[in-house]
Amino acid sequence: MLELQPKPQFSVVIPPKLLQEGYLVTFSSDWPSTHVAIREKTFRIDAVNQVPYDLSYIIPAGDYRDVDFANGSGTFKENIYPENQSSLFEVLLGFKPGNFISHWYVPAGKSVHNLEYAQMYPDLTDAKRKYLGARQPKDSPYDDPRIKLYFVKDLAPIIMRLYVLAGVDFEKIVTGLTINKCLMREITLPTEDQKLKAKVIRYYDYLRW
Amino acid sequence: MPSTVVAAVLEADAAVIAAERENAAVLAKSITIDNLNGGGDRVIQIQDVFTPAVTEGEAGPIEHEVDRFKYTALAGDQITLGEDELKGVKCLGAMKVYSDVADASCFITVGYEHE
Repeated sequence: MLELQPKPQFSVVIPPKLLQEGYLVTFSSDWPSTHVAIREKTFRIDAVNQVPYDLSYIIPAGDYRDVDFANGSGTFKENIYPENQSSLFEVLLGFKPGNFISHWYVPAGKSVHNLEYAQMYPDLTDAKRKYLGARQPKDSPYDDPRIKLYFVKDLAPIIMRLYVLAGVDFEKIVTGLTINKCLMREITLPTEDQKLKAKVIRYYDYLRW
Repeated sequence: MPSTVVAAVLEADAAVIAAERENAAVLAKSITIDNLNGGGDRVIQIQDVFTPAVTEGEAGPIEHEVDRFKYTALAGDQITLGEDELKGVKCLGAMKVYSDVADASCFITVGYEHE
């Protein structure tokens, strides 16, 4: 028997998870005026460098810790933000399995996962609403992270609240980060084609309308 | 899978099987208690030693010692427990082993992995 494999009519190309050298990014108009250096501007990525980094915390059941990715000297600051205007940090974040959930706030105290009815916001003191908007370890596994964040200089603090659920005495929460450091160069007069091809990075407020 | 063999010691001198690793927990995979020449029955425990993070509820955490496993090895006996029997024995910090009575003739071998 002789079998001739037919030529495939199409192929599926899976795009890379992270920004690459030569990629274009545009910061949308909803960025606040404090970010005038990047707001409504288009940049070319001139260089990238992936930096892996693990964060871990042992937390008792029923308690939480706020992880602040911003720079500073406070106990909860993790100093992940860039210090240069020309840097964009694209961060992939995944969790090792465990008995915990995470809630997200930008800035501190402002949840990004409220619903529209009154009091429908994440509340760790409420038996039901502690799960509202909660991201679990399986939502973004350590080896296949799905949570992506973009950090620029002087960005408002992004807070990840890690809460250990009942059922264990303590839990060790291990968070794996891949920080894709991107060196940006502004394209002062982007063409329409460049604008179309650029990845649009929106401000976090767009998640709350 | 790495393993460590230690003689039975008291809790105050608990023997370190695996030091704490920041980005991993330590899983017990096997334990062999050789009490063939021991001086009597020995109660062997695996202990988890760690200091929790600063949290909303605890601004000044202190070191914790939590027992994760306990087994009585009879005098003149040797016992090996495998992965199935040790399922769920996980140390968040350092993994240590101790006995109710110090006994230089009772040996404990623990196999472990970082998760």
